Amino acid sequence: MEEKPYKASLGSHGSDISSPDNDIRNLWTRATLSQPNLNVPRSRVGEDSDVEGSSSGTKSRRWYNQKAPRDSLDGEDKDSFRQEDLNEPSLLELELRRAGSLGSRLEEEEDVDSKPDTEISSSESSSLNILKHTPHRAYWMEQQNRLPLPLMELMENEALEILTKALRSYRSGIGRDHFLTKQLHGCIEGLKRRRSKRLNILGH
Amino acid sequence: MRATMKLKQGSFLWYLYLDKLYCLLSVRNVKALLEYFHLLDVHHNNTLNDVLFYHFLHHVTSWKRTQIMVVFNMLDWNATGEIGFDQFYMLVCILLAQQNHLEEQFIFRHSRPVFELLDLDGELRIGPDNFHMYNFLFNIKKQDLKELYHDFDITGDRRLNYKEFKLFTIFTMDKYQERQKAEKDEEKGKKDLLKKKRLHQVNVNLKQFLGINVSESRI
Repeated sequence: MEEKPYKASLGSHGSDISSPDNDIRNLWTRATLSQPNLNVPRSRVGEDSDVEGSSSGTKSRRWYNQKAPRDSLDGEDKDSFRQEDLNEPSLLELELRRAGSLGSRLEEEEDVDSKPDTEISSSESSSLNILKHTPHRAYWMEQQNRLPLPLMELMENEALEILTKALRSYRSGIGRDHFLTKQLHGCIEGLKRRRSKRLNILGH
Repeated sequence: MRATMKLKQGSFLWYLYLDKLYCLLSVRNVKALLEYFHLLDVHHNNTLNDVLFYHFLHHVTSWKRTQIMVVFNMLDWNATGEIGFDQFYMLVCILLAQQNHLEEQFIFRHSRPVFELLDLDGELRIGPDNFHMYNFLFNIKKQDLKELYHDFDITGDRRLNYKEFKLFTIFTMDKYQERQKAEKDEEKGKKDLLKKKRLHQVNVNLKQFLGINVSESRI
């Protein structure tokens, strides 16, 4: 599996709130929630990760699914890598990419041409290993990031609370009709929509 | 006893890990923080205005309004009415340093930016008033503050230039390390004492056991 370029564009935040459907952070959350559906053949994984790589328009900011560099500053991170990486260097990366790609499939629902046969046959033997590690995928990601797993959820919920309080101040300070108040209100609505979407998925 | 600020437990910042040696966040943590900053940056200017800043700090810390606004004015040194990510990052590191009782280490490691933050007038000198105003950020004790101006104000102008300030940071760092060492030694002493007590107890038990056995064999 070759390394894909890191496509994070951290600065481009502007459109995210206005168009929650295109937000990569939703994909991550859904990918985490859809764990029971992870038992897909290796070939499908290959397809999906290919889609991800080829579609340059999607999406950015998948830093939390990126494999951490071996020369990471965190000593503990290094140790956790060593255990996994000694045997199968690409397994972790594959798992993480798979998490993202499953999420992107949920989001996009696109049909894609299958990969060449050679890759499918070569992957048969390793698929068992991957499945063996599947239940630990979430744990791996947590270990890597050293941050709580539903990170975006946590951040968004907290931001929502802060922004709701700020909206009250805006309304009392500069009025309901001020464009800044409206902008803030729009952002809050966007975050609320995203949260309710997440909860709906959780309900299913 | 220090009157430290408490970060709200379970808040996003609470999960970030500040490196104890360098007093910095890892790249991964900074990226997460940037995401968080963008969520709060509702006007898409890559900045936070005073209202958003206030509500953010009010939500995650136990600071009062006046303290929050003092911090805002300190970070917004060019008076644009907004703070960018750089200042936000600096603030978060200060918060985490305080939360983890690493203030001395933080001032020592980042003496230049801290000096520049405290030098409100840009005169390259810090007066005692400034120190006093921002004391809740770095928890410098009153006694230390007195010593600071008594011992390190070499030029005698009642203000500290950067070199004098740097000397102070080295001095406080030394004191901090000595304190740490003393605490460790004390802990080790306690452990040794406990070990000796346990050993003594085992010996006594063994002697009692052997004594009974000897008397039984005599009978």
